[in-house]
Amino acid sequence: MVEQYDVIVVGAGFGGPVAAKQCADSGLHTIMLERSKIPGEKVVSGLVIPVYGFLFGPEFIREGNPPIERPIRSVMNRFVKNGEIYASDHSLRLPAPFTVGYSTYCKPFCIWLADRAVDSGVELRTATTAVDVIIENGFVRGVITDKGEELRSKIVIDAGGTQNNLSLKAGIRKKFVPEAIELYMIWDFEMAKEDVDSVFGNSMEFFHAMPDEKIGAPLGYGSTLYFFTYRDSIHPGLGQFLVTEGKIPNVAKLLREYFDNFTTKVRRWREDIAPKVKLRAVTWDVCPIYAGLIPEMRKMPYFGNGMLIIGDAAGFESAAFGDGVPSAWFSAEIAAGVALESIKAGDTSKAFLKRYGDRVKADPFIMHTITDTRRWDMREVLKSKSENEHKKRIRDHWGIGAFRYKYMGGPCLKATGRSIKNDPGIIAKWPEMFRRYYRNWEENRFDRLSTD
Amino acid sequence: MVRTFRDIPGVEWVEGTGNFITIDEEKCTGCGNCLKVCLAECYEIVNKKARIRSMEKCMECGACWYSCEDGAIDFSWPAGGTGFRTNWG
Ligand SMILES: Cc1cc2nc3c(=O)[nH]c(=O)nc-3n(C[C@H](O)[C@H](O)[C@H](O)COP(=O)(O)OP(=O)(O)OC[C@H]3O[C@@H](n4cnc5c(N)ncnc54)[C@H](O)[C@@H]3O)c2cc1C
Repeated sequence: MVEQYDVIVVGAGFGGPVAAKQCADSGLHTIMLERSKIPGEKVVSGLVIPVYGFLFGPEFIREGNPPIERPIRSVMNRFVKNGEIYASDHSLRLPAPFTVGYSTYCKPFCIWLADRAVDSGVELRTATTAVDVIIENGFVRGVITDKGEELRSKIVIDAGGTQNNLSLKAGIRKKFVPEAIELYMIWDFEMAKEDVDSVFGNSMEFFHAMPDEKIGAPLGYGSTLYFFTYRDSIHPGLGQFLVTEGKIPNVAKLLREYFDNFTTKVRRWREDIAPKVKLRAVTWDVCPIYAGLIPEMRKMPYFGNGMLIIGDAAGFESAAFGDGVPSAWFSAEIAAGVALESIKAGDTSKAFLKRYGDRVKADPFIMHTITDTRRWDMREVLKSKSENEHKKRIRDHWGIGAFRYKYMGGPCLKATGRSIKNDPGIIAKWPEMFRRYYRNWEENRFDRLSTD
Repeated sequence: MVRTFRDIPGVEWVEGTGNFITIDEEKCTGCGNCLKVCLAECYEIVNKKARIRSMEKCMECGACWYSCEDGAIDFSWPAGGTGFRTNWG
């Protein structure tokens, strides 16, 4: 049987539901396919969603009550040598209710997003994998599911995440080169809320060290060991690029070794954290963190005849911080807008959809964040081995220096101006969001999920 | 059927995935990159060729596919509703 839609969105992770909801709100007949049985069950992430995603992203998220684990108000940077903390940088911290981001588990958050899409009239089909695209006369005209169904549409939005098979099958993109890909390993530990409160407060904590400490990848070739803090759990993780210093090392072995070294050597873990935690889960996934820094990857198209590609599938991950949810949201909104215009105009050609590319480029954050070289440039510290330079760079990266105009300050100012121009009332809505999110967290009260 | 493993807590695997990762023996040069990047120990090298040892702990990350410089690994998704799942991602 052939079914006809205006838009098929593939993937109900972080970006897909935002695109699907907006399409349905504009009156488009929209279906969203998700390969997992419940949205978010297959999304492995950090996860602290930076606040700029909430401030400048979809209104329904800003004005809603999504399930968050903890408002993160500061970043604690620890510098480690011989297992001891020899310096800390806590320059980036904000008073309540303001935050640098919100931590959350992927599953409840993605369910919440998918629920909002369904409320808007999106047909959600879970446990369904899109295995191929239907191509006719050079246009993507729909997808084929693992059950052999043909679903047809005017536009397909690929929100399938990093391992973006469909846009490869459509011949629009190639797979990411291994230099662009970081493999992350993540541990989830239960920890009583009072203990998270007293050991970390509302901070996330990073452990920076020179490579001979062996608690993380060589600088610039991976994320340092971080602790994201949740309501009554903590979620440490670390990562390393598949290609490090020109070679593919035994990343699987190294990631385990770094964490073992950390947990056996670092006193902060042994004395303050370990006695209070219990391991609950171990997960891993890859991220296209350096896709924007490798010209051949950055220049790959994110649209083609009948297809728009958003979020991780398009390589929209921040190269400095590794966050990708904000850009998945921004690109989802842009894509939904362009899908509507192209369907109204009866023209889904690549030439028409080029406006998606133009708007992505004009977005204050997407291009800026995917081409941010601050993490990559940590490689300089590998050469100089200077502790002072290391500290200075971390302050500009994970400290107060992150707000310099040339880093996140400029894009935030631009986005603020743009948002106020579109809706002057947003000035009151921003503090209201901070207060409501904080209150929701304090009262541990969020919207009910359809799976509750 | 759902499987769990003590060394990877908090994750379940639903059976029925089908062969979503395949290796083209002709193209494989036995470089071993797939082994080095696989946290699930899915691969082994037999007679200088990579071979799938067991997919039972695969978390569908695709690191093997990205690292295969010979283009010998083909990666697609498991059938809908199968494969790994977690509440703690
Ligand atoms: C370890 C790690 C840590 C991270 N930390 C952070 C962080 O702290 N902050 C942050 O903002 N970002 C972080 N990110 C990045 C963030 O998770 C992604 O940028 C974000 O999830 C991208 O959203 P997306 O919609 O593009 O893809 P996803 O959220 O990955 O969603 C893709 C969805 O599509 C489904 N799917 C894929 N293919 C198909 C198909 N063919 N048919 C049907 N369904 C399909 C998948 O099952 C999935 O549900 C991290 C990522 C990783 C891996």
